[in-house]
Amino acid sequence: MGASPAVSPRPGLPPAKPSANASIKAKTLAILNNSRAIGAPDGLSRATSPGGDAQDLAEQMNDDVRNQFVAGTKLGEGTYAVVYRGHFREDPTKLVAIKKMKLNVEYRDGITMDSYREMKYLQELSHPNIISLFAVFTSKDQNISLVLEHLPKGDLEGLWKDSKISYTREDIKAWSAMLCQAVWFCHENYILHRDIKGNNVLIAADNTLKLADFGLARSFSEPGRNMTCNVITRFYRPPELLLGAMHYGGCVDVWSTACVIAELATRNFFLPSETDLQQLTVITDLFGSPTEADWPGVSSLRHWEVNFKSAPPKRPQPLSHWKQRLPLMGEDGIDLLRAMMAMDPSKRLSARETLKHPYWTNMPRPTKKENLPGMGGGEQKMGEDLKRPGGQIDSGRTDKVARKLDFGGK
Amino acid sequence: MKLTEDDIYRKSSQYKHWSFTPTQLALLRQKTNVQACERVKANVARQRAQRAANALEGFNSASDSERANTPGENGSGNGTPSANGNGNGGDTPLRPDKEVDCLTVAEEMRLVDKFCETVLALAAFIGAPADVTATAIQFFRRFYLYNSPMTYDGQVVARTIMFVACKTDNFSITLDEYIAKVGVTRDQILAPEYLIVQALRFNFEVKHPFRGLRGVHLELGEMLSGSWMGMPFDERSKEQRKQQLLRLPKRAGGKEDNMTERDFGKRLEYVYGLASKILKETAQLTDAYFLYTPSQIMFAAQLLADEPVTMFYLNTHIPSPAIYPSSPYNKIIDTIRACALLLSSHHSYTASSVTPEEKAAKDKQANQEIKALLKKLKQCRDPDKIDLVKLNQAHKRDAVHAGELEESKAKRRKIAREDAEKQADDFWGAELHKK
Repeated sequence: MGASPAVSPRPGLPPAKPSANASIKAKTLAILNNSRAIGAPDGLSRATSPGGDAQDLAEQMNDDVRNQFVAGTKLGEGTYAVVYRGHFREDPTKLVAIKKMKLNVEYRDGITMDSYREMKYLQELSHPNIISLFAVFTSKDQNISLVLEHLPKGDLEGLWKDSKISYTREDIKAWSAMLCQAVWFCHENYILHRDIKGNNVLIAADNTLKLADFGLARSFSEPGRNMTCNVITRFYRPPELLLGAMHYGGCVDVWSTACVIAELATRNFFLPSETDLQQLTVITDLFGSPTEADWPGVSSLRHWEVNFKSAPPKRPQPLSHWKQRLPLMGEDGIDLLRAMMAMDPSKRLSARETLKHPYWTNMPRPTKKENLPGMGGGEQKMGEDLKRPGGQIDSGRTDKVARKLDFGGK
Repeated sequence: MKLTEDDIYRKSSQYKHWSFTPTQLALLRQKTNVQACERVKANVARQRAQRAANALEGFNSASDSERANTPGENGSGNGTPSANGNGNGGDTPLRPDKEVDCLTVAEEMRLVDKFCETVLALAAFIGAPADVTATAIQFFRRFYLYNSPMTYDGQVVARTIMFVACKTDNFSITLDEYIAKVGVTRDQILAPEYLIVQALRFNFEVKHPFRGLRGVHLELGEMLSGSWMGMPFDERSKEQRKQQLLRLPKRAGGKEDNMTERDFGKRLEYVYGLASKILKETAQLTDAYFLYTPSQIMFAAQLLADEPVTMFYLNTHIPSPAIYPSSPYNKIIDTIRACALLLSSHHSYTASSVTPEEKAAKDKQANQEIKALLKKLKQCRDPDKIDLVKLNQAHKRDAVHAGELEESKAKRRKIAREDAEKQADDFWGAELHKK
């Protein structure tokens, strides 16, 4: 379970001491106040420099929080963050992952929007299937560190990619149920995740799935205010975003969720493509071209003309295609997926509706959590996953567009 | 499955970290004030001692340029200290050193309220929508629960907090656009950012009453058109409810009226506009968010805007104790009334009974008091925290040095450990060869 053999911090990485910060403060103040007196032979100014304990209430609180944790081994390092394993000082068997946000060189406007979003939403969401944020603190070099749940068993994408692991339709049902509940909870709290994909769904030591990376999340928009359509990693992006919709709701996450479930069932990417344009082709190959009859309003979306006006209409694949492609889902499972992937977002199931689908209560029953198959040694994977910015595909190809939010104007 | 609004609210950071009883709120402010006062006094005393020492030194070696600087500093001491000084008046040594007269909690609160109006003006200036503005103001009020205006200048904090709120609430504006409008340097905005997010305890979600108000407005519209379904305990028909609504008196205690549907529609529009104004302005400038939930604040504003309509609405939703003895009706109404009293006592709220002359006189007096407070504040600023840009630079510089120090320490430890391992190996002899 959580008791890893390496619970104690490495000697090379001393934990932050309260005194360290205090002495920095004292020095900082001394520099400021002695700037005139530099070179003065008498030692008076130094002797009367303020005590290091003169801290703001907020600074004290920050130090108290920081001192609850001990940082250990580095698990991964990326452009945006470094991830360490750590533990509670009080209880070394209680492991955590400490994600230290790096200063972003491309973003010169202070703390990044991603960091703000991740802190903002994880602070509000507490649910067994959403990664827990235990605490946030700033370190002495003014970097923000997030103390997150330690999730040592990798992620969903790693799971289906690992040919050594075999799993059943019952297992898929158990994982899908946990994922759908996480998405439901976000939406009940009026939060859109906007980057659901296999490697943002991490696995805890007890096999519980945890939705992570809220760097692209946002609250449901005020009615009528525009949102950017440049979100969600391409393979998981629903057709309305590809067509440039600037008003959307929870249904964008539902589409992505269905993609993740289908990937589990096929052990492959479900709708892979090379470009945004191709993504729409891949989707219409399966679902047929959208028309004004089955998706009222589709022709007034920004990118409709370019894509469909003069293209020959495509017919959707028949149900038999789904049955052949997703035998592990069963008929009810396929029905659920197709309802979660209705092209017209207003006809797509809401997260709340997905939980009412008969698939969950029909036989076979989902596997109990403790019996789910999984891999060991996924800790490095967690390091990889947590440090990665959103909107990026694991293959190393970066879909950078998703990072640049244009807000769709005002 | 559905979560109730209560379930969600009770798990929010706003409820967990930023909701208080009046006593808790007063104690927290007291604590912040005491700590700030102690520090201001200590830092001023230290600075005086240092200056005295420098003056002594100065008879022999002080540079002329430095002496020439001092009077200028005093002249421009309007909250934007020059880069070379610590902002303290150069004339202080001429006066006998007297005890610093610090702000009281009440005075601090007056100033914070005043600076909230600055945030409001700033938000209007950059064209931020109401919810972003309200978030900025609440951030500002939260910041000054844990900090004193004696320590951190309200003006400086306001500018950065407004920018932080733009980032957390998706109002797209780059720092370059922002500083071009506000007229400060990039560093002036960025230097206090960490300080601020730390004081906000990294909580960036503020729940506002605006959407709730719109919901109530839409529902009242449905009641008026006779299409609202009604709660299970309510035995009136849709038409009966509609007729009762039309006969509501214009103000509390007034006599029964009989409006047309069209006129009543106008009345609802007016109520919505007025309540919305109270929420955007008065509610932001009081402690309402610390003491009440968003829906309580919303109904309080609505109550001030039109008591008969609001009471009618509440009665259609909460059964009276006459029907259900355990109904929380009285508790809810009392809470809303208490919140309404808080809102209506703020100077930005003008009851219809106040004449323009009375209001002008009241405003004038308030302005004079603020002026006096600002003057007092100048004498009790924490000298260490005036130039945040420089402080931030020094802080970063120091952290880098501290990091190096730790790295070299770590290296030393590693060498020591390796040596120890080597010695241990030597002690036990060389490793045995495996067969």
